[in-house]
This record gives sequence, C-alpha cells and structure tokens, in this order.
Amino acid sequence: MENTAVQRKPASSRANLFAGVSLLIILVLYLFSSKAPATWLAHPKLQLFKTLFISIMLEAMPFILIGVIISALLHVYVSDAMIRRFIPSNPLLGILTATVLGILFPICECGMVPAIRNLIRRGMPTHVAATFILVGPIINPIVFWSTFTAFRGRPEMAYTRMGLAFVIAFIVGFIVYRVVKYDPLREAKAAPAVHSHAHHHHQHDHQHDANHEHPHAHRSGRLAEIMGHAVSEFFDMGKFLLIGAVLVGLLQTFVSNADLMTLGQGAGSSNLLMMGLGFMLSLCSTSDAFVAQSFQTTFHGGALLAFMVFGPMMNLKSLFMMLAVFKMKFVLLIGGCVTVLVYVGSLLLMN
Amino acid sequence: MSRWKPAHAEAFDHAFRGVILIGFAALIIILWQTGDMLLYIAPNVVPYVVAASVVLLVLAVSQFRLAALSLWQRVIVCDCGHEHESDNADHNHERSNRLLRKVGVYGLFLLPLLLSAALPSTAFAGSLAVNKGMNMGASVPIDDGKADMELVELEGNVDPGLKELFRTQPYNLDYAKLGMLLYQQDTIEMKDQWFIEKLEAINRFVDNFQGKTITITGFVYRDKQLAGGQLIVGRMAMTHCIADIAPYGMIVELPDADAYPDDAWITVTGTIGKTQLGERQIMKIVATSIEEAQPSAVPYVYPDNDFASKI
Repeated sequence: MENTAVQRKPASSRANLFAGVSLLIILVLYLFSSKAPATWLAHPKLQLFKTLFISIMLEAMPFILIGVIISALLHVYVSDAMIRRFIPSNPLLGILTATVLGILFPICECGMVPAIRNLIRRGMPTHVAATFILVGPIINPIVFWSTFTAFRGRPEMAYTRMGLAFVIAFIVGFIVYRVVKYDPLREAKAAPAVHSHAHHHHQHDHQHDANHEHPHAHRSGRLAEIMGHAVSEFFDMGKFLLIGAVLVGLLQTFVSNADLMTLGQGAGSSNLLMMGLGFMLSLCSTSDAFVAQSFQTTFHGGALLAFMVFGPMMNLKSLFMMLAVFKMKFVLLIGGCVTVLVYVGSLLLMN
Repeated sequence: MSRWKPAHAEAFDHAFRGVILIGFAALIIILWQTGDMLLYIAPNVVPYVVAASVVLLVLAVSQFRLAALSLWQRVIVCDCGHEHESDNADHNHERSNRLLRKVGVYGLFLLPLLLSAALPSTAFAGSLAVNKGMNMGASVPIDDGKADMELVELEGNVDPGLKELFRTQPYNLDYAKLGMLLYQQDTIEMKDQWFIEKLEAINRFVDNFQGKTITITGFVYRDKQLAGGQLIVGRMAMTHCIADIAPYGMIVELPDADAYPDDAWITVTGTIGKTQLGERQIMKIVATSIEEAQPSAVPYVYPDNDFASKI
C-alpha cells in the first residue's frame, strides 16, 4: 500500500492549511463581533495589513491568470511529444534552451509555477524546469529595462544582475540534472490507483494522462475545457498565493526595515541581510530594482545585487506555490543551492 | 458507465467558485470605479488588473454554466477525477475531512473580499515610512574626476555657461537636463510629477542650486539623523504596489520644527542650502514660510523612467 503512504502527506499539510485559515476566519469573525468594532477595525496595523494584502493580491492577479491560462492552453493544445521534441536531450543544451524560454515568456514567478507544473507533467525534464523557474523572472527584457533605469548611474548593476542570474540558473540546472533522479512533483505522476481520487479529489491529479482516451462524456468543446481547467488551476494555485500574500502583509506590517538595517552593515552580513529582505518582501521582479535603488545609501552594490537576484528566485510568496507543486526535498535542494550561489556570487562580483 | 445521478455537490462547487470569481471581479471594478484602486497599485498596473477582472467574469460564467450542466448530465471538466465522488459516498470520515478542507480553502479566498468589505481603503504616508527608512537623494556619489565628462546639449539656445555648470558623467545626462530646466525657474515646485527625479537632480548638482527658492508639499517625518530645528518633508513613491513603496524626502530647517506633528501635511517655501548626511552633501531647505496642507486623495508619487524624453 505504498500509494496510501504517498497520499497521507498532502492530507496532513492540508490540515495545517485548514488550521491556519480557520484561525484567520476566527480573527475576522472576532473583529466583526467584538463590542467596539470601530476601534478594532480602525486599528492602523489592521488597516496596513489589509492594504498590503489586497495590494499584493491585486498586483498578482493578472499574472496568475496569465499563468493558469497558459497552463490550460498547454494542457489542451500541446502534446507531450511536442515538448520532448522541442527540448534538446543534451542536458547543457536543454538548460540553455530554458534560459532562452525565459526571454521569450516574460512572466513573473506567480505565473511561472502553474505553467511549469503542467510542463513537467507533460515530460519536460526536471533540470530544464528548474532552470526556467530561476531564470524566467529575471532574464527578460522588461526586468532588464527596469533595472537599467532604476540604476541610471550604474549600468553595471543591470548587466551583473542578468549575468549572475544566468550563471546561477545554469549551475543549479546542472546540479539538478546530476542529483535529482526522482519525480520532483508532489503528486504521483502515474499512480495507477483510481481510488485515490476520492481521498483528495480537488488535488487535481492528472492520473489519466497515460491513457488519455478516457471516456470524455459530453465534452463541451475545447474552450469550455480550457476555462474549466484554468479555474481549477486558479483555485489550486491561488490559495498558496493568498497565504503568501497574508504572510508578506503580516511581515511588512510588524517588521521594520529600518530596524533590520542595523543588523547587518559589514560586507558579508549586508549581503545576507538583503537576501533575507528580498525573500520577505516578495516583490515583483519588475519593481524590485527601484526598491533596491532606494537602499543605495545604506548598502553597497553587492548587497543590492544579492537582493535583486535572490528575491525573484526565492521568496515567501512563490515559496508557498513551489511547495504546493514540488516535493519538499526538491525545493530545499534548489533553495539551498540558490542561497549559497547568490551569496558567493554577489560577494565575488561586487564588493 | 454506471447509472447517473445529478451531482448536487459538484454543482454547488462550481457555483460557489463562480461566486468567488465574481466577487474578485466586483472588488476590482468597484475599486477602479471609485478611484480607490490607486491606493493599492500604481496607475501603470491598473489596466492589467482591470483586464483581469474581465477574464475573471468570463471564467465565472463558465463555472455557472458547468454548475447548471452538471445538474442534468455528467460533465468532465478536465481529467481531474471529479466524477468519482459518488462512488465513495459512504466514507463518512473522508467526506467530512474534505468538507473541512473545502471550507478552509474557500474561506481563504473569501478573506480578501471580507476585508475589503469591512475596512475602508486608506492611504499611508508617514506610518509606513518609519518601516522603510527615508531616502534623501544623492544615492550616487558625485564623481569629481572630470576625465570622461561630456557636455549636455539642451535643445534651443541655451547659455553655454549653464551647460558648463551641468557638466557631468554621461549616465547623469538625464538629470543634468532636468537640472537645467529647474535652474531656469524662479521657484522650483516639487509637485507630484517627477518628485523623485527633481529631488535626485537637485541633489546631484546641489552646488548649482544654492540660494534658489523651492516649495514642497508633503508629510512631516522625523529621523534619528536629524539635528535640532530640522524635520523631513516627504512623499511615498510607489512602483507597482504598496509592498514596494519607498519614502523620499528633503530636510527642512526651521526654528519651531517641534510644532509640527509627524504625518501632518505641510507646504514649505524656502531657499535651498546644503547639509552633510553621512559622507555626502545633500540639499536642505531653509524655510521662510510654512502652511498647513491637505494631502491629495491619492498621496503617492510614481517614478518616471522616461522623464528625460518628456522634457
């Protein structure tokens, strides 16, 4: 009964998810029912949290919709064979292809994860997917331009950002190629049991991919299929984006950057500090250059570079989406590699 | 295929998803129509978010259609196994677990809608600046080595002496261009447009602007680095959303600085001077008059990457 062991895990984490969500609901109910709602509801911290939360959600909305629609289109129109034909079998060439894909599809990480999940399911090699996830949010024309203009006086910031991101994605892609021999997706790709459906039916397994000619009773056309798939994916990924937005909102409400700044001022520690900040702020990669630029008086270039490379690759908002899709050990491997490489790379390049 | 029953649970699921999607679309449209959206995101992101609301509405309609459809025929949306639900109807424990999870997930999606309904949209100024740390310009050190400097050409007949004053590194040309424009004005007005760019331009050529008259409107902010008789007048700059907001400000020198509480909005008129901040010389304003001011409904300023081409 290997199968049930595999299924247990998501169920328990769903329970945690549920616990967290119920706490929030209780909090909201409490706020509504407390005797003096006006004072509670008017509390500046709550206002700040709400504004941050809604703001992050609104900004991510177009991107996550693009992501789920691309995923749905891939699902309906692109066959597994096409993906296999498109991606070179040579690992190095495959990784290079992934970096080019990033330039062609400038979507940020909120849209990236759902599309990638679909591609891996359809046979995209893991190392190519890993490279794509890391490179996509950074190496694209929009991010280059926004970095270039934010650091008007220091054009080298934009070039080193692109360069470092490329090198890191390449190395991580290669490490993944060498190390990861397992299926990185959380859900079993080809679990034979039909039974498991009933246990967590909204988890959206595509267990029938193997025998795709499964009785499609009353299929109501491709458009309906695309929309149905997009909505399932929207709710599937959206909940993790929302949890991420809640956490980022709480962090920014209660933790002050100015206080953090006093923690790290040395060469090594400021790089680490800015990486941590990039992780917590979870900014869109097209707007983070401007924020980095505002730290120029406090930190040297290497720390800002670390912020702009690490943030888009690893951040609180996308971490939840990645954990929803990938196995924990896979996320830890990528996270560990990226952390070490960004730290070392930013120290070597600029100091 | 086994005997078919109307799938009430599925129909409810689809309908509920449809309702949530409509809720999100409504939230976006209401914020857009009331103008409150600018308290959350920058104007350049608004069109994308409004377009997203249209997509959400279309998706919602598809969900209602599925809900109706699943009441009188078997529907398979995608290969997600929704149709297996009735096969295991007697697993009570599993069922209640699933129900709880569903409540949790939908609760999470309802949270932003509830919060928006319960709380008014508000603007943030000084209270957020405390969390972020104030920027006072001159982020780029001014190079003294005049080795590879080139002269800026401003269109029209510009006094060669003026060009000489704004001699700078090639990458500072945009700021030099803006600086020359400001230099020729009787009073430099710090308005919403190009607030950050003007602040940077003046700070980059701070020596040229000594004694010039300036007016600025913004919120009062205080910082540990300030000397007595000083405060900072600042604005919040937003690139995409509240999460990336960053405060920008100027040091103002006035005798009764303590009379103005934090976060109060004031309009300061004064002359530009210089002060030391860390290793850098930055501008300060020696106030000649101060008035109370009203913040605009949307108190944010936005960085403009292409400002130089619009001068």
